[in-house]
Amino acid sequence: MPLPTRAGAAALLVVAGLAGSAAASAASTSAGTRAAAPGSVATAEGHGHIRNVIYLLGDGMGRTHVTAARDRFHGVSGRLNMERLPAVGQVATYAVQPGSGQPGAADFDPEPVTDSASSATAWASGVKTYNAALGIDAKGRIKPTLMELAKRDGYRTGNVSTAEITDATPAAQASHVLARGCQGPTYSAASCQNTEVTGTPLPTSDLRVTPVADQMARNGTADVILGGGLARFDAADEQALRGQGYQILGSPATQTVATEEDLADARRRKVFGLFNTGNLTIEKYKRENPGSTQAKEPTLPRMTRKAISLLSTKRAGSHRGFYLQVEGALIDKRSHANDAAQTLEEIRAFDRAVRVAVNFARKDGHTLVIVTADHECAGFSIIEKGTFTNAEAGTPPRNVDPSNPANNSTPTRSANNKLDPLRSTGPINGSGAADPKSFAPATFRTPDDPESVRDGSPDASLWLSYLSGNHTGEDVPVFGYGPGSRGVDRSIDNTDLFDVMGRALRVTR
Amino acid sequence: MAAAAGAAITFVVGQQGRDPDRGSASPAAGSTPKVPGGPVVKRSLPGLAAPTGEPVLPSITAAHPAPGAVVVAEGPFDDRFTLTRLRLDRTRVTGVVTVTSDVSELLELQVLAGFYDRRGRLLGTNRYVRPGHAHHDGQAGAAPEVAPFSVAVPRGLRARVVSAAVGVPVLVNE
Repeated sequence: MPLPTRAGAAALLVVAGLAGSAAASAASTSAGTRAAAPGSVATAEGHGHIRNVIYLLGDGMGRTHVTAARDRFHGVSGRLNMERLPAVGQVATYAVQPGSGQPGAADFDPEPVTDSASSATAWASGVKTYNAALGIDAKGRIKPTLMELAKRDGYRTGNVSTAEITDATPAAQASHVLARGCQGPTYSAASCQNTEVTGTPLPTSDLRVTPVADQMARNGTADVILGGGLARFDAADEQALRGQGYQILGSPATQTVATEEDLADARRRKVFGLFNTGNLTIEKYKRENPGSTQAKEPTLPRMTRKAISLLSTKRAGSHRGFYLQVEGALIDKRSHANDAAQTLEEIRAFDRAVRVAVNFARKDGHTLVIVTADHECAGFSIIEKGTFTNAEAGTPPRNVDPSNPANNSTPTRSANNKLDPLRSTGPINGSGAADPKSFAPATFRTPDDPESVRDGSPDASLWLSYLSGNHTGEDVPVFGYGPGSRGVDRSIDNTDLFDVMGRALRVTR
Repeated sequence: MAAAAGAAITFVVGQQGRDPDRGSASPAAGSTPKVPGGPVVKRSLPGLAAPTGEPVLPSITAAHPAPGAVVVAEGPFDDRFTLTRLRLDRTRVTGVVTVTSDVSELLELQVLAGFYDRRGRLLGTNRYVRPGHAHHDGQAGAAPEVAPFSVAVPRGLRARVVSAAVGVPVLVNE
């Protein structure tokens, strides 16, 4: 998908500058970092030479997720750190069916709702692919990733996630597999092969059926690897990593997870640190259980700060800059579970990682920061206080208009919907908490509410509900800061992110 | 844990991006010209041998369950599930895997069973493979975190099998 011309981009820059100024003014009294002063927006937009790109994504973070977190933590007139960035746009996220051509091709066969694998492949490799595919197109052909291109051209590289590091989003930058379930530690035909795409099973020597962990431990694509998923790696992987000079925090061989102290002591050019055998622990649990082992895991902003520090440290030899991907993965995973309280705290942690990145970019002056998501998850909704959703009602809303039959539609529903007391037994984080079948919303107080208002109360002003437990096909927000950020200041496709970042790093045409 | 290994892996990478030039030198103003065609995707993974079969669990080999017992064999994901309702009859071992960690969508699950004689010697193995994410397996209605399984005792072993061990070598959640 072609990007706008330079002239068009220049025109849009004016709009971006105004938007950035407005955001800065509006945000000046809210929590978090101070927005760029209006006069600095042009600098933030980009006259500088880009040395670094920091790409942060909230997995499953739709526009409503952002708004809900803003309302919850900063009030309706506040701003999250990501919302203060001067460039703002939206991203289409659709996937394609197995075997499909690219958009515009005669055999193009779209799939409106993406998964994390397809979406991550779109920005990492610049191609649409089928759900579950990583680093390949929909016909199964290997496509180089931005992180591989950056590495080849002398950039330092980092891959940070709160998920298992072999999970779809981080894996899309550093592996090529037919199926995202092929994570390791071992190959299995069911999890690694996809004969719908390849016709016959591939030989197990083929990269596309080689478990992600085996690839990551040996291809050296990322210099700094921080996250979860130690159980995916084994003693042979540790040996391979050591052979490439990685400083290994903890031990895959003994399944000893890395610690915050290990992270603090990390100094080498290449660092591999996984802090949980599976996904990292959610922020809400850590906050409520400060004495737990899990509470000692580093936060996403902490890992982001360390990754930037390691990657930006001047070392002997050529140093062109760095490319870092940071994923707030648990936004998606807790949205699948329809747990708004957990989801909101994951968004806040992710937004704090954004602040870390932007603070670095502001000082550095040569760093492009892009913040976005791979898809929306679960149809997150902010509903009006005191109202209810269709899931809580016995029937859909009335569609008969006695005063104007032109408004009537079919099938005819002359009775308005009513709250079904069996489906809605009170806020699920309040009076309905004991009922696992309740479809009622979760309610949260915001800084705009009186001090006496409590979470889970009908008096709380933020009412949140979910449409489903799965991904949706809506566009997701994108925010940008720094030179080159005007490339995201419009409606784009997720494959355009490959072009924006590739051009910024000068690793693609 | 590892599958049996064969020859060292060498890969051939044919495509270089959306067009033949992607991944080569950039024409952008101010950038240093680069030599096109350098390696992008790693063509070989040093020291990695290609697997020759399905995953095995060393704990299955090491187990010597008593007659009548069905024991749990150690695997890489034991902190992510529970195994309950384990039963062995003449033709199969059955049970339920309940995923307890990061439950959203169960993408991949494999249960490996070892079968033993009266002296606790391993006679053979078999496995249950739950259809994965891409296969739309028609298990609608089942909770995503609960996976009943059944592993058949190999037909030629049925007269001698008196105990079993089960473990999980493959587990992937969304």
